Amino acid sequence: MTQEELIKKWLDNELNASEKEAFKQLDDYDSLIKLEHSIQRFKSHEYDTQNELDATLKQLENRKTKKIIWLKPIMRIAAVLVIAMGLYFYISGLEITYQTDIAQQIETTLPDNSQITLNAASTLSFNKRTWNTNRLVNLEGEAFFKVAKGSKFDVVTSAGIVSVLGTEFNVKQRANYFEVYCFEGSVGVETPDNSYILKPGDSFRVVDGEVEKRSNATAQMPSWLSNESTFENIPVYLVFEELERQYNIEVNSIDVPKSVLFNGAFTHNNLDLALKSITIPLNLTYQIDKNIITILSE
Amino acid sequence: MTLPLNDNVCAESVYSAIFSKYSKDLHDFLYYKFGEQFNPKDKVQEAFIKLWENCSKVTPDKAKSFLFTVANNMMLNEHAHQKVVLKYQSTKPKHYTNENPEFIMQGNEYMDQLQKAIESLSEPQRVAFLLNRIEGKKHKEIAEMLNISTKAVEKRIYGALKILKEQVEGLK
Repeated sequence: MTQEELIKKWLDNELNASEKEAFKQLDDYDSLIKLEHSIQRFKSHEYDTQNELDATLKQLENRKTKKIIWLKPIMRIAAVLVIAMGLYFYISGLEITYQTDIAQQIETTLPDNSQITLNAASTLSFNKRTWNTNRLVNLEGEAFFKVAKGSKFDVVTSAGIVSVLGTEFNVKQRANYFEVYCFEGSVGVETPDNSYILKPGDSFRVVDGEVEKRSNATAQMPSWLSNESTFENIPVYLVFEELERQYNIEVNSIDVPKSVLFNGAFTHNNLDLALKSITIPLNLTYQIDKNIITILSE
Repeated sequence: MTLPLNDNVCAESVYSAIFSKYSKDLHDFLYYKFGEQFNPKDKVQEAFIKLWENCSKVTPDKAKSFLFTVANNMMLNEHAHQKVVLKYQSTKPKHYTNENPEFIMQGNEYMDQLQKAIESLSEPQRVAFLLNRIEGKKHKEIAEMLNISTKAVEKRIYGALKILKEQVEGLK
């Protein structure tokens, strides 16, 4: 066996007993052993596998919790986004609603440039998404419409559907009181029982279940737009209900018979004057206690 | 058809077993290849963290080569072409058996020369030689670690020994 083969076997710890003896006889033996011992001092740093494993697992644990800590605010942001998007789709996809309080009027323009003025204590809604194919608004209360020319325009109320093409009209739907007044163009009114066509100056109303169609009025626009409510042969309790809508008050009129009819108007700007203009012509008096008005017959 | 019980290392028991089996070898390999100044312990930890993050994609039998490749690449990316420093310990290493006590402590002159000689070895020679001589790894084990043949390992180690002998006075 050559020296090289012996050394190679020694390097791989494969020497048997006799080969070991031969190896010891090599000239290089001493220097090889010296090198072998000296080289041990280049040993790598101590490596404690168990310690390192524990440290690594701890590191992984930290990362996990860090991730969770990061996850929380991300979840919060995501939740807010979901809610915001939900609201967006709700508002843009379903209904746009306008609502007025007592003594409040709002004016608004619909997507087709039709103008609507909403009287006090009224609600108007429409679907923005379907608006282009279907001009339809839901109304509870009273509103004046200036409808832009175009396809059929429907006002749906609990008392009936008012359909028009392009016109100006007023719709009033209150308890026991439904009235449509046409100012321009033509208006179709469809009640559960019948349907009517109104021309300018025509009005249609159902008061206490009594249907009435009138014509030849000369008003250019509903009086409430100039802060006045006008009535023609209307039971006075309905007038008081309107009064309650225009002033933040409560009217107690049990004393007054339901059959009493009122003709005239009241202003929205002065409660005392309004009360006088209703009561004096009917020979009634009133008492004011804070915001409760009691009407007395003489 | 047989499927391995654990086809990935996501189970902590499998992961820990792999750690116990390979971490020291990986550490020593990094130490002898890149030197002591680049914190081989940290690189071992980083490589194992990478293994955990990819645990579902790595089968246990691929874990070793994954770890060695990842750790090696991390070292290369951070410390490419920097000088390898391997310092010898000034005190006697704790565990080795020797038959000739007179060689235990060599003079600093000899040790300095040996250090220079080791640093002059080619990287493959140095890694194989030190794993063999210091860590007592068999040629076959080194071959598995480095993914080369035992013949190549033998050649590297013997070549390294020859160079050291030539360069260090008193070895001849």
